[in-house]
Amino acid sequence: MANTGSASSAVFARVWRRLDWTSAISFVAGLAIVYGIYATVEWKFVATLDFHILIEYWQPLLRGAIVTLLITGAALVVGLSVGVIIAILLQLPIGPLRWLIVAYVELWRNTPLIVQLFWVHFGLPVITGISTTALESGCLALTLQSSAYLADIARAGIQAVPRGQWQAARALGLPTWSLWLEIILPQALKIMIPPFANLALSFLNGSALLGLLQVGELMTVATKISDYTFKPIEIMTAVGALYLLLNLMVGRLARWLEIATRIPR
Amino acid sequence: MHFDTNTIIRHLPELLRGVQLTLILVLVSLAIGTVLGLVACLGKLLERGLLYWIASVYVTVMRGIPEMVVMFWIYYCGPLILNTRLSSFSAAIVSMSLYAGALLAEIFRAGILAVPRGQGEAARALGVHEFWAWVDVILPQALRMMIPAFIGLVTLVVKISGLASAIGVGELVYEASIVSGQTYRYFELFTAVGIFYFMLIFPLSLFAQRYERKLVRKTR
Repeated sequence: MANTGSASSAVFARVWRRLDWTSAISFVAGLAIVYGIYATVEWKFVATLDFHILIEYWQPLLRGAIVTLLITGAALVVGLSVGVIIAILLQLPIGPLRWLIVAYVELWRNTPLIVQLFWVHFGLPVITGISTTALESGCLALTLQSSAYLADIARAGIQAVPRGQWQAARALGLPTWSLWLEIILPQALKIMIPPFANLALSFLNGSALLGLLQVGELMTVATKISDYTFKPIEIMTAVGALYLLLNLMVGRLARWLEIATRIPR
Repeated sequence: MHFDTNTIIRHLPELLRGVQLTLILVLVSLAIGTVLGLVACLGKLLERGLLYWIASVYVTVMRGIPEMVVMFWIYYCGPLILNTRLSSFSAAIVSMSLYAGALLAEIFRAGILAVPRGQGEAARALGVHEFWAWVDVILPQALRMMIPAFIGLVTLVVKISGLASAIGVGELVYEASIVSGQTYRYFELFTAVGIFYFMLIFPLSLFAQRYERKLVRKTR
């Protein structure tokens, strides 16, 4: 009896020594989470979900996804141009202009998009007298915010261009437009690609907010279909998956762009 | 058209009530999110096993889906799938915590990975116990590196809390929408709301910026 006891404890000791601790912790904790989810979810209900309606509504969903991409893309492209111009103006040694630009950038960067959206859609028409459609104000708000973020990114990009490039261009007597368009900006834009990609992803997700104004992008389509069919879970899950897919696609595109434009050394 | 400050002053109590709820939303979801983030960060650092896969899927999904979709999903689908009653407030808390947790996991991980490997190895070579190597050597340095990103996340959560108005949580944006719907003073009220948010967010991002610059100077 004592013999078997010591034998089993020897086996136990060997197993104990061999135990891969990280895997064990990972497995036990993961199992606890899986069990927690398993125990709380109402599986009988989940079994009744009917994802067939997605086949019926794939066209409007696809159209919504395309509108989302177009709106985000337009806001980013216009925002990039405005942002670069702002960043170049920031290089000018004019005090009041600098303060104005910094105030503009910080105001748009430090307030939520939802407030900006409502401010542009409901507030601005009161003072300008021009009433904008939901799509117009959605695009305007996104563009204004992206221009502020991109101005900051462009400023950092311009500053990251090595000093020697400026000095060399000046020493060669290049005119200002050539200095900017042919020397500084091409290099700065390359440096800007990774932060630009991050911003693109966050705006892709942020554009879902425009659904609140019924702009006609993916989120609007999703809420309309789920209101019409009374199947919010199926539609929202599918839309989440669609957004995830768009995100992964844009992320992949950004990584490809980053590698393709890398300066060979 | 004149800027009617009287409307703002008259409705200041409602707006302040909104600010209060916004702050509660942010603080509670940051607290829960930190716990979720720590677990997910542990999972990602272990680099194998079940927890690693769960954490990876969680982080990827949460970062790849708009916060708006997450909030609507939990508000509409949560009660049905979990067979419970879920108030709009708790739906907002759940979705914001899940979102903050995913981003925090990555922030924690980046902070720990930013500590040079030599630090932990040196501590172990000196015979410091693994536990104390973490507590005394690795984590203090990692925490310092995380501060700017963490504050950046706090500002993000403040911004996201505005979305809770869409599912009917009575925070700042919601209160402003109600009041401006009654008074038609959209411009004044949303300007005021913007100023409130700016006052919440700007000091934080300013501090993060300064701190980051200090860190860069120190590590050089």
